[in-house]
Amino acid sequence: MTVRTSPTPISFFAPSADNWKLAIFVGVIATLLATLALPAAAAFWVVGVAAALIAAAFVVNAYRRRYYGGLLVAPAIAVLFVMNIFPLLWSLGLSFFAYQSNQQSIRFVGLQNYVKVLTNDLAAEANWYALINTAMFVVFTVSAQMIVGFLLAMLFAKQFPLRRYLLILVLTPMMLSVVASGVFFTYYYDPTFGILSYVMNNLTGQQFILMDNKVGAVAGIVFADAWMWSPFVMLLVLAGLVSVPKYLYEAAAIDRVSAWRQFWTITFPYIRGLLMLALLFRTIEAFKLADLVILLTKGGNDTMTISYHLIRIANEQNKTSEGAAISYVMLFMVIVLTNLYLYLANRRSQGT
Amino acid sequence: MSTIEIRKVTKKFGEFQAVKDADLSVKAGEVVCLLGPSGCGKTTTLRMIAGLESATSGDVLIAGQRMNELSPEKRDIAMVFQFYALYPALTVGENIAMPLHYEGVSPAEKKARVGMVADILHLTGVLDRLPGHISEGEKQRVAVARAIVRDPNCFLFDEPLSRLDVELRHSMRGQIKGVLSNLSKATVIVTHDQLEALTMADRIAIMRDGVIEQVGTPHEVFAKPANVFVASFIGTPQMNLVEADLRSVKDGKAELTFDGAPLAITVNPAVSALKPSKVTIGIRPRAFAPVSKAGKSTITAMAELIEPMGAETLIHARTKSGNDIRVVVPREKRVKMGEVMHLEPDAAQTHVFADGGKAVRA
Amino acid sequence: MSNLSDLLEKLGLARKGGVDNAGWGRTLVVAIVSFIYFLPVLMIIFTAFKPQDAALSVPPTLSPTSLFGLIPDQYVFTPTLENFGSVFSRVMTAGGQPEPTGFDRFFFNSIVISSVSVLLALVIGTLASYGFSRYPLKGNDTYLFIILTTRMLPAIVVIIPVILMFRVVGLSGSYLGIIMLYTAFNLAFTIWMMKSFFDELSTDVEDAARIDGSSETKVFFKICLPQVVAGLAATFVFGLILTWNEFLFALLLTGVDTRTVPVAMNQAVSSGGRGTDWTLLASIETLFLIPVFLVTFFLQGHLLRGVTFGTVKR
Repeated sequence: MTVRTSPTPISFFAPSADNWKLAIFVGVIATLLATLALPAAAAFWVVGVAAALIAAAFVVNAYRRRYYGGLLVAPAIAVLFVMNIFPLLWSLGLSFFAYQSNQQSIRFVGLQNYVKVLTNDLAAEANWYALINTAMFVVFTVSAQMIVGFLLAMLFAKQFPLRRYLLILVLTPMMLSVVASGVFFTYYYDPTFGILSYVMNNLTGQQFILMDNKVGAVAGIVFADAWMWSPFVMLLVLAGLVSVPKYLYEAAAIDRVSAWRQFWTITFPYIRGLLMLALLFRTIEAFKLADLVILLTKGGNDTMTISYHLIRIANEQNKTSEGAAISYVMLFMVIVLTNLYLYLANRRSQGT
Repeated sequence: MSTIEIRKVTKKFGEFQAVKDADLSVKAGEVVCLLGPSGCGKTTTLRMIAGLESATSGDVLIAGQRMNELSPEKRDIAMVFQFYALYPALTVGENIAMPLHYEGVSPAEKKARVGMVADILHLTGVLDRLPGHISEGEKQRVAVARAIVRDPNCFLFDEPLSRLDVELRHSMRGQIKGVLSNLSKATVIVTHDQLEALTMADRIAIMRDGVIEQVGTPHEVFAKPANVFVASFIGTPQMNLVEADLRSVKDGKAELTFDGAPLAITVNPAVSALKPSKVTIGIRPRAFAPVSKAGKSTITAMAELIEPMGAETLIHARTKSGNDIRVVVPREKRVKMGEVMHLEPDAAQTHVFADGGKAVRA
Repeated sequence: MSNLSDLLEKLGLARKGGVDNAGWGRTLVVAIVSFIYFLPVLMIIFTAFKPQDAALSVPPTLSPTSLFGLIPDQYVFTPTLENFGSVFSRVMTAGGQPEPTGFDRFFFNSIVISSVSVLLALVIGTLASYGFSRYPLKGNDTYLFIILTTRMLPAIVVIIPVILMFRVVGLSGSYLGIIMLYTAFNLAFTIWMMKSFFDELSTDVEDAARIDGSSETKVFFKICLPQVVAGLAATFVFGLILTWNEFLFALLLTGVDTRTVPVAMNQAVSSGGRGTDWTLLASIETLFLIPVFLVTFFLQGHLLRGVTFGTVKR
């Protein structure tokens, strides 16, 4: 039996040194107040103190009850709090203000940014297109990665000579810097110097320009992204394939089970969890797709994505708070989507 | 006809010879156990019959046809795996139905046949559960059910009971034997447990280091072991195997020097052909009669350890020169620690093995 | 139908029975596929060896050798090592002398920042995931999901407060700042991966050790950790690949002294106003690929086994 001491519930308001729930509550409130009311320099130190307070509460709580979970988690929580959760809360706070990073003025506007995003921006056709494009890229890139990654994994599933060396070749695209691979794809797609156009020109006898229409531009982006990240899916799927016990296939051979049925009844159950994990991480990443679009089309030919739109607003136009509002709308969508995934994944694994 | 035959089958893994020139034939309706210590090549032999391993040389015949090159699918066999190999994502019912898909029978018939074997093996209550949610004993029965749900050429069992506890093992032995006796198929069972082999098999093939040492009925391998290994492997407590010098054989009695003293015991007539040499004498622990006085035909030893086994008592005794002798006596016979015993071996259960370890027997 | 399956079997594409080794037939097929998949990378590597004038030629040059006359001369370029030299030192202003570009420093920065932050995330994240796995809090899933959320927002959203924060406490342009940030961003992935590894371990052995009187520390270091070495390797490789190539944070939060290669690479190829310097970009990327390629190659055995252990329920 593992030592799973579920702590006796502490009264939420008991001001004891080990009441970590209260500590988190106080910490979050203090952080919010500090970010809203104090200048940044002071706010940061308040947050630091809050994080230290919470960490201390965890440690004391853990020590008093010999409850090691808290001790183990505390450093991670502290780092995440300072580097992630605090900035997130700050930008959440910012989304209620009118603030531009290149100006000093800051003004509370309540939900106005959200209202603007949800009415004006979403009403604006260009933004709708960005949203639709993002959804399209998510569907296309993720499904392309899943299919290609899966097929590659099937190829590598069995032991064969030189497997180790061939596998590393397929993994290499994932290791490239996006800057380099993105820029080089513009070269491959280039109408004058690119290899693709050269081949197509010779085949069709006509000038071939991939990126001059939406279909071509989208295909170009999806191809580059799928090429880079299919190996990620492949690795996860391959791990699942390799983990299927050999004796199950032997039993299937004795039972004369067809290859098709073998796949669905034996192999697939083993890789389902990994496919879901790959799907989850790749969807989150695909939602954030911006770099390849910037490098390949600069948003031209109707390939604007919501993430690129956000970078333009927040960085190029310096509308920081508006950008924050957009990103929280986006975060909301991603959370709904991932929760749906996790719900489905859990239901499947419990159902079987 | 449902038969299995292997002729001069050899399996090499690189330099290592797992099975050497194994010969075995199993008639329809016969149950043959491959018995031996772990690593003796018995599972490899079974897997070659199944087609899961290819034989390096020799022939594998199932139902009279040579099947060396055929994949397991084409051999029409049923097998129960050591770890059961139940499909984890399928329910017990679906697991049992897996071999039926190939035959393309109607769903109704599938259901009927699954129901029938589930009934035989008392699995009706767990048909809708997943293999992860049933007990070890049930898993074992599901594996058997999956094997008997169709009508294959033969049955193969790989250590079918090794994962069960003692009581369950006992009851499953009976159940499997019952099921098999109704099927009249050639069956090979691999086991390292001699009790399993002795109770379930019609014949036993004893293997060591890739070689089949002896094939015979349970009675034969017990009463007439072909060599020292079989003699020591079969029977509990283990047979006493002691070295002695054979001086001569007169009137069916062998004159021996054992433990520095002369010993005369009645032996198999074939022993008279032996020249004076070193031999191994094998005597079952239950084949000793304790007598009151030392004589020409007794062994003298001192009781060192006494283990009551219920109806009988096992005594570890030591001779003067340090030979360890195991004796089983009835419960009523009281022996004290340190007591000197004079033991007279039963001639009918005394075996003489020549220098190479082979039994000398007419 | 059976003819087809026999054919596939002969090609090594399908194999009956429990035989695990698919043989040379499979090697041939996979080699072709892998080569095609690797082609774009190969083109980048070749470009690194091309003379300036061959980089943008019509028709494109494809190979450094004619492969005994197999490839027509117009597609062949003469390989040169000059580009690699110009990564570290080249003429920056027209007519000037070659100057050091500082890329040796950038490579050093990339190696230090990536390896330290990934290792730090691994240490902190492994402890945390062990905590989450063995001592579940109430609402464990919620905490884990919140941790995952930190990866969901586009970096641009988090970056503004981080920039402000770093400026205030004087962390911008420092190693500490970017390392802390990368550590935090690797944590989410590390915790999710490592938790699934720990979840898979049977707790029986640990409990046995506890009964034998081992301290919790000993149980963790002597019993648990050795069993997830493979998982650690896998997480390390994934984290390294992501951190190694990270661009946006590095662009906004590193200074002249702490600049990483992706940022410097972007500046090097886009500065000068002469369009992209293809050979320079290719040679930087080729050099930049080597360390992460080698690490992945040497850990790939673990990578496979590791992920296997981690995420599949047995």
